[in-house]
Amino acid sequence: MRDLLALFRGSAYIFWCRYFNRNVTIGSGLRIYKRLRVKARGKVIIGNNCIVDGIIGDNSHYVCIDSFDQSTIVNIGSNVRLFAARIGAKYQITIGDDVLIEESGIIDTDFHSINKGRGDPSDENREKCKVSIGNRVSIGARSIITKGVTIGDDAIISPGSVVTASVKPGSIVCGNPARPYHGTTP
Amino acid sequence: MYYRVFRDNVKICFPFLAFVKVTILGPGTVFIDKGCHAQKNVFRGLTIVTHSADSLVSIGAKSLLGGLTIRCHERIELGKKTMTAVSLLQDSLIYNADEVSSQVDTNIFLRPSPVILGANVWLGPDSIVLGGSKIGNDSVLAAGTWCFGNQIGDYCLVSGNPAKRPVPIDKLLKLKGLE
Repeated sequence: MRDLLALFRGSAYIFWCRYFNRNVTIGSGLRIYKRLRVKARGKVIIGNNCIVDGIIGDNSHYVCIDSFDQSTIVNIGSNVRLFAARIGAKYQITIGDDVLIEESGIIDTDFHSINKGRGDPSDENREKCKVSIGNRVSIGARSIITKGVTIGDDAIISPGSVVTASVKPGSIVCGNPARPYHGTTP
Repeated sequence: MYYRVFRDNVKICFPFLAFVKVTILGPGTVFIDKGCHAQKNVFRGLTIVTHSADSLVSIGAKSLLGGLTIRCHERIELGKKTMTAVSLLQDSLIYNADEVSSQVDTNIFLRPSPVILGANVWLGPDSIVLGGSKIGNDSVLAAGTWCFGNQIGDYCLVSGNPAKRPVPIDKLLKLKGLE
């Protein structure tokens, strides 16, 4: 019953986007269990069979996809499961297939300059700041992915980590700043 | 506020004082011993989520639980007189990972394993305790600590993300000349 309701909500959202919100392109089979908020000035592309959900037992967090510029491209692959993920984009964010994101943030800009004037950042561009996440990546709760990061396929970002540098394929990273995990298995 | 949850799998002993919203979800067994307090915190209340019917969460007597989130696959045990701030207790690396069964089968890190905390443990704000961690009696976790599979002895101080080597508090007190 819950799945059917989510499927209905998702198809209604796809229908609404097709006629009123032309920036957002969504494939078939989207399922929305909890709230989804898309504030798109740029382009947002979502693939097939995605799942949008919240954290169980916590209604204050929901999936947000914000793009702050007309030239922004947010590209989300198919079979992606978003559990209260927050995506804020100014340049480009690419997410691969079969990705799992739990209650964490992805941002590809600093929003403010480091100068004393605090204007728009001058040293940022699309090549330097774009975030790309590979296929079959899982990202744990309460972690943050900052600008200019590339995450390889099959990588695991553990809960509570702050990713500031690129991650190799198949590795497990943890900590602030995120480094490869060398400890023993539990 | 002074209330009980009337469900079969949840057992809360009297007296239980709740100053915030308490949410208990899922089919697993939850046991809270007598004299526990759920303290007021800014954003989060006490949240306990269990995944399957086999999972077991037990909280000892006279614990102070402020803004704690527990997500349980297998087993989580808290000793008596535990004090927590806004922290996360989770016994697997990624809670929703079981939806892709192939990923869990191939990767050892994603399998759940029990978390056991001793008596009189103090968890600092924003600390995260993940699967396989064992924390001894009277230990202290500093703010922002990240534990995954760490074996921590009695009366130690742990800090860092990821957690550094635990320091015995007796030694610290001797260094400061307090003892």
